[in-house]
Amino acid sequence: MTDVHQRIPVPDGMRDVLPVEAGELSALERALSTVFASYGYRPVQTPLLELSDVLDRAQDEGVGRAYRLFDDQGRVLVLRPDLTIPIARLIATRMADEPGPLRVSYNARAVQPPSAGTGQGAERRQAGIELCGPGGPEDDAEVIAALSSALAAAGLPGARVAIGSVALVDAVLRAVNAGPEATDALWRALRGRSMVAWRSEARAVKGVKGRLRTLLDALPTLRGGVEVLDRIAAAAPAAAAECARLARTVDLVTAQGMPAPMIDLGVMRDWSYYSGIVIEAYAPGVSAPVAVGGRYDGLGARFGRARAAVGVAVTLELLHHAVGGPEGLEPAGVVVVGGLDDRVTAAAMLRATGVPVVAVPAKQRDVEAFAVADGRRFVARPVKAGWRVVDVIDGTTTTVASLEEGPWT
Amino acid sequence: MDLRICVPRGALFEESVEALSAAGLPIEPLVNLGRKLIVECPGGPTYITTRPSDVPVYVESGAADLGIVGLDVLLERQPDVYELLDLGFGGCRMVWATQAGEDPAHAAIERFGVVRVATKYVNVAEAWFEETGRKAEIVKVNGSVELAPLVDLADGIVDLVATGTTLRENGLVEREQIFASSARLIANRASHKLESEAVDELVRRFAERAR
Repeated sequence: MTDVHQRIPVPDGMRDVLPVEAGELSALERALSTVFASYGYRPVQTPLLELSDVLDRAQDEGVGRAYRLFDDQGRVLVLRPDLTIPIARLIATRMADEPGPLRVSYNARAVQPPSAGTGQGAERRQAGIELCGPGGPEDDAEVIAALSSALAAAGLPGARVAIGSVALVDAVLRAVNAGPEATDALWRALRGRSMVAWRSEARAVKGVKGRLRTLLDALPTLRGGVEVLDRIAAAAPAAAAECARLARTVDLVTAQGMPAPMIDLGVMRDWSYYSGIVIEAYAPGVSAPVAVGGRYDGLGARFGRARAAVGVAVTLELLHHAVGGPEGLEPAGVVVVGGLDDRVTAAAMLRATGVPVVAVPAKQRDVEAFAVADGRRFVARPVKAGWRVVDVIDGTTTTVASLEEGPWT
Repeated sequence: MDLRICVPRGALFEESVEALSAAGLPIEPLVNLGRKLIVECPGGPTYITTRPSDVPVYVESGAADLGIVGLDVLLERQPDVYELLDLGFGGCRMVWATQAGEDPAHAAIERFGVVRVATKYVNVAEAWFEETGRKAEIVKVNGSVELAPLVDLADGIVDLVATGTTLRENGLVEREQIFASSARLIANRASHKLESEAVDELVRRFAERAR
């Protein structure tokens, strides 16, 4: 036993993952990856640490809050606070010569210092995809469909997906022509998710009348089906192209048999590199979006190779909260008594047939208790007639001549 | 509708209940709350009552779908939530106040390069002095903030005032208004999307009342 008075902490926001959770997280990761692979996304990996001045190129304001350290030459390194930026760097540099379309996926952890007092963790396990294609609504729709079907495969069939658009809001604001300061203030209100600040900034904009005025005042609160887009296009003809694009995206998603995403112009990301559609997915019982993403056509150019790109990432911890463990993670495997010493050969042969075998010494005590604690279903003991097998879940006992004949499946 | 609504106890409580009632929500259990912290209305929302400064935590974490909270708390805590409506009640001002007579803050800046500020609103105070180009040393106190300048714990205070009576009684004068505050309706990010119909309907009714 550990001395409880001795404190052995890990850093703020960091935590360990024990076997049950780790098993469930990897099962979720597999479910998502399998779907992503079925759309042709190929896994890539980026380094844990990046050069700070390289990642900071992603946005005018840099990457913001992150863990940073120095290397032995005094260069500032940053622990990736986000995966989109490193993936964009990888695609723009290492895959610059590939003609595309490019489809890549990743399973990686992003790390960002937690805000004090919120109880949020610093690490997020992200399973995501990125599509660099022609850049039309077809690409956006594929990413949304892949997200929906991946979430369904992971046990979240009814996830609600909401989409907004930076480009659409931008088109409306251009039509309004509020001047740079007011426009900045409106963007700040939107990114800060304050409808109140938006309304007060919008009302301060002079010279806007009629339907455009009504649209401007209410823009971030507009949501619903594609009919919302018709209203926007009618009030702001300059935004009609973006409205048509979003409507086409929704059509293409539903044509693939996926639920229609909700249009919601209040959906906005904190990162300023987004340039088009913005995607969020929500699950009941989870306080933040389980998946976020969008289009960022300007990001590649900041790393030397412009390419239209759209992507989305699922945060595994949040998905895990929503669905718990996927099906099929009941206790499994056999504890073979003597498998570690007297009966190694028998244990090895059973293991070779694909059954998980936990080997313990012939003299191991309390084997049943160990099997339960370790999440195993069966205990097998050598007896004269072969093996006596106890099912630790229902308590039944059977005797088999050889381990291969056991009730394992 | 099974929304969970976080209602602040204290100064905003009465008017919050009135606003909820005017928006057509059942409020009977809230009126007869007693010491209960959480009450469920059959066929209506569940109300969670907390300290005003805790409302954003409950809403951000999803323990409540919606909440009523002063702008002062929002600006201090900076929660990641949707701020949907200005409910129009609970009006007050966040101010910078020092002792009457010659403002001691000027001398402090000139002679020590720093002004000492006592406040409950650490983040608001820090941001205000930073924006106005002054260096502030923040002293966090939890109550009776007006005391601090009187016993030279600080040069002045950043605090919320409604009428200004407490300031006057303690010989303090308002030097700068930082912002005007009022009660806001906030929503959890996921609830705002998952319960979009119920949330939008409620916002519409609140807005009608405010008008």
